[in-house]
Amino acid sequence: MCVKGAVLFSLAAALGYAADAPTLKPVSFIACPVYRDTNQGRKSGCWLADDHESGVRYDIGGGRAKPQIGHEVLVEGVVANSTDVCGGAVLAPVYTAVLETRCPAVMLPPENYPGRAFQVSAKSVLPPMDVERPLPPPPYESQQWVIQFNFQSDFLLYQYSEVILDAAARYIKASGAKRVLVTGYAATKEMQVSGRTLSEPSALAKTRAESVAEALRRLGVDPRQMHVSWRKDPEPIASNDGLEEPSKRRVTIRAEL
Amino acid sequence: MSAGCAAFLLSAAFTAGGGAAEVQTSPESETWWSPGSGREFPAVLSYADERGIITTLNLKGPTDTRGHPFFTALGTNGRACITCHQPADGMSVSAHDLQARWQATDGKDPVFAAIDGSNCPSLPQDERASHSLLLERGTFRVARPWPPVDADGKKIAPQFDIEVVRDPTGCNTSAVYGLHGKNPAVSVFRRPRPATNLKYLTAVGFVFEPKNGFPLPIDPESGQRMSGNLLADSRAGTLKLQLLDAMHTHLETEGNLHPEQIQRILDFEGQLYTAQSVDFVGGKLDDGGAHGGPETLALSKPGVLKSSKDVQWVEYSPWAALATTNTAGSSDAQRLFRESVARGAAIFRDRTFLISDSSGLNSMNFGNPTRDGCNFCHNMTRTGMDVAPGQVDLGTTNEPFADSAPDLPLFKLTCHAGETPHPFLGAVIYTHDPGFALTTGRCVDIGKITMQSMRGLAARAPYFSNGSARTLRDVVEFYNRRYNIGLTEQEKQDLTNLMSVL
Repeated sequence: MCVKGAVLFSLAAALGYAADAPTLKPVSFIACPVYRDTNQGRKSGCWLADDHESGVRYDIGGGRAKPQIGHEVLVEGVVANSTDVCGGAVLAPVYTAVLETRCPAVMLPPENYPGRAFQVSAKSVLPPMDVERPLPPPPYESQQWVIQFNFQSDFLLYQYSEVILDAAARYIKASGAKRVLVTGYAATKEMQVSGRTLSEPSALAKTRAESVAEALRRLGVDPRQMHVSWRKDPEPIASNDGLEEPSKRRVTIRAEL
Repeated sequence: MSAGCAAFLLSAAFTAGGGAAEVQTSPESETWWSPGSGREFPAVLSYADERGIITTLNLKGPTDTRGHPFFTALGTNGRACITCHQPADGMSVSAHDLQARWQATDGKDPVFAAIDGSNCPSLPQDERASHSLLLERGTFRVARPWPPVDADGKKIAPQFDIEVVRDPTGCNTSAVYGLHGKNPAVSVFRRPRPATNLKYLTAVGFVFEPKNGFPLPIDPESGQRMSGNLLADSRAGTLKLQLLDAMHTHLETEGNLHPEQIQRILDFEGQLYTAQSVDFVGGKLDDGGAHGGPETLALSKPGVLKSSKDVQWVEYSPWAALATTNTAGSSDAQRLFRESVARGAAIFRDRTFLISDSSGLNSMNFGNPTRDGCNFCHNMTRTGMDVAPGQVDLGTTNEPFADSAPDLPLFKLTCHAGETPHPFLGAVIYTHDPGFALTTGRCVDIGKITMQSMRGLAARAPYFSNGSARTLRDVVEFYNRRYNIGLTEQEKQDLTNLMSVL
């Protein structure tokens, strides 16, 4: 079976940090995010957060999901050697998840920081519907795809999830897979971050699996083919981004021929 | 339509300096189309409006309306589709023409039918005050079942409780029509959307709807993907479903329509293209290198995402450099207006600002706030709709962003413990219209309203789903206030002029 670990392995490259090899110094903390309004066009602007334990201010804006001012954010990332253009040490890759706990909504002016323009990898964007695309050619073999989720969320993240779902659905269709196993996971094991105990509810494994199954159904995968299940406390998936916890928040799609 | 246009209407022809134009408009007496009038619906139909002329192309016209189901009262209240989709009003209906109709018929026209043309059917129907929301805001009562039901008619367990805080119409607390009546319903008040340019409404540019995270659903009947761009609360995914919904509610049709009737209505509305074609000051909108007007809409491909190649409002780009081109014969006023339109298009495309606290936008992974512009959402070329369709809470109905509206009902929605609350307003939300949440039952959807076409705006004031913006300038002011854009007076005028020629 071929495992599409590319989801994890390609993250750094997809985010444009290929030139900055991670130094594999994972950090995780909870902070009140600050938005710096550097104007480099659409969807630009910097996101900063202070790790209270180390006192370091980080640039956390490079993840798939951006924070929200007024809400605390869980930050999990790796310190990169990128140039500081926002006013903080760059975390790349970085995962940020909006927490329900409120905090002051703070915005800063540019203060001579240039910020960076928003960029999205072509691999993270689906073409319009009217663009004809051939189905994946044979030979076919059983395959697996992984979709990651934000902490405590079952939302299918834009410019990420749909590319994987589309690839899976097209492969399932082309290969005539006999069974499609959709398995949702929730990271129910407690972890300590910034002096707080965090974990995901086990029910999230189910809603994540059902979200993916519904998306596949709408993409033409026969529900009778699908076997949907959910589990808690999963093992992390090995990756080269130095971060284990985010990989536990996932759904796997496995096409069996 | 403005009363000040009467002389213009009667002139039947219009000549604008520069782009000399002769556009036949219908006499004022023919402005209102009543069901069963037997009038021929021509291939090209133009009317004066507040800013110039609105033109509808009927591609397979002329159409004999005698017995045609779009023009025939099929229900019990005397209304037909045409009643609320008037060609003089961009195939919607304007508050101005509703007021004129009240005056002309002493409130007896079927458009004022008790079921939804009044603030509540239980009110005395011969009193003007009982129809104030229709006459002042141009809004019809839309009674949504409570709890919500899905496409198969099954009840949805809502994530929130709903209470009526203020009920100026009396309909939400009515023992018959209210939230606790025999058939519990939530009455909200909404503008009718134009029944024209429909290929743009049903176009699906991309499979995924990123605001919800899911692929768009597939219509089981046609096998086609539903666009998500129909109706304020997206309760109908196809034009056919919208038609059937309208028949049973707005027309009070008993029984079912014959499939041939349905198809004739769908065919007719599908061949209509409507846009402003002449501006009083700017002249013909396809003059001076521009290609405004409905012809461009009829010829263009729908569902195209704006880009550097497919430029938003490129129709008016040639007007950007009039000072350096040959404008012989044009007046200064006309040239200045045309340049203003082009500047408005550029602002619409290029001006960025911080978009914040808007569920559906900032709740995606772009963050809150996120810097973007008007065409972040209004991103489909030609109509300014959303290529990746979906619903957004701009704050037109939810407090504290909504404008004061003592004439509208106010609801208090309390999200259940354990449910994901509204991302920016929390677990308790006060709203004039829960919008998409009345379809899904979800807290995150409270106040989300489907974007609509920006075409034919000059003919169909007021604006926003609840008619809260009386003028196009009010629309600009709302956005400027809502997102603290900091538009200058000139920029506001430029954006207003742009919207007036769409």
